[in-house]
Amino acid sequence: MSEPKEAGTKCAHCGTSIECCEFCDESACQAAACFECVNEALGQAVPQPHTHGG
Amino acid sequence: MYDYATGKLDWLAAGLPSEGSNASRPRAGDVARSDVPTCRMDESLGDVRERVGAAGWNACVVVNEEGVVLGLLRSKELGGDAAVRIEAAMRPGPSTFRPFVAVEEMAEYMIEHDLESAPVTTSDGRLVGLLRRSDAARTALELRQKEGGAG
Amino acid sequence: MPQEIDREELRMLVDQGAQLVEALPAKEYGEDRLPGAINLPLGRLGKEARDVLEPNRPVVVYCADSA
Repeated sequence: MSEPKEAGTKCAHCGTSIECCEFCDESACQAAACFECVNEALGQAVPQPHTHGG
Repeated sequence: MYDYATGKLDWLAAGLPSEGSNASRPRAGDVARSDVPTCRMDESLGDVRERVGAAGWNACVVVNEEGVVLGLLRSKELGGDAAVRIEAAMRPGPSTFRPFVAVEEMAEYMIEHDLESAPVTTSDGRLVGLLRRSDAARTALELRQKEGGAG
Repeated sequence: MPQEIDREELRMLVDQGAQLVEALPAKEYGEDRLPGAINLPLGRLGKEARDVLEPNRPVVVYCADSA
């Protein structure tokens, strides 16, 4: 699969191509992180065990 | 039986009391400075810079009439052309962080990413305050020293 | 089928004595939970609810979010 030309960098945690670091908004950030990795690291997203069965 | 569908994150994001091991640890919303200067998009950079400087700050948060964060002016942005409108000078749509995030985590990340300040907002984008790296780092260090005892 | 409620409705139910149940794993429950909530992870909810919950008080179950 070819890399998207518009992507600025890659997430240092999961390797996802991103425009800029979602923590500091800088495209040249050496520790760039994607939105999901930032949220998970900061506890802004808590993992679900599985969906409600109802 | 009832299902509180929006769940724990909704409750925490609203700044409501909680229990658990994280409850007693300082959070971003506790340490963020609510007295950070704010401004509107239609003001001039020169006017805002003067007001921010007089207040002893080097950052300003751009908000709308409902207090929703639209942008950020850090040292670099505040140093621009005085005649320019804030809308053109600001850093739009900055990453924001929820009040319940642990300050220790924020401090670690702000140091790693060399981020001098970070807006803390509610889940609907309203400004709670500006978390400064120095404040986050100091709080994290005090907590470590307290928990480490004499070290 | 449980009735979905929002935060304000939850607060009213809690004022009326509702029992709160967090259905997440114990680790998440230990770190952050709503005041007074007990922990019944989803896999145990069906089996243990009858033993742990009072039948004459409303019960509110929650997870992390609606995702």
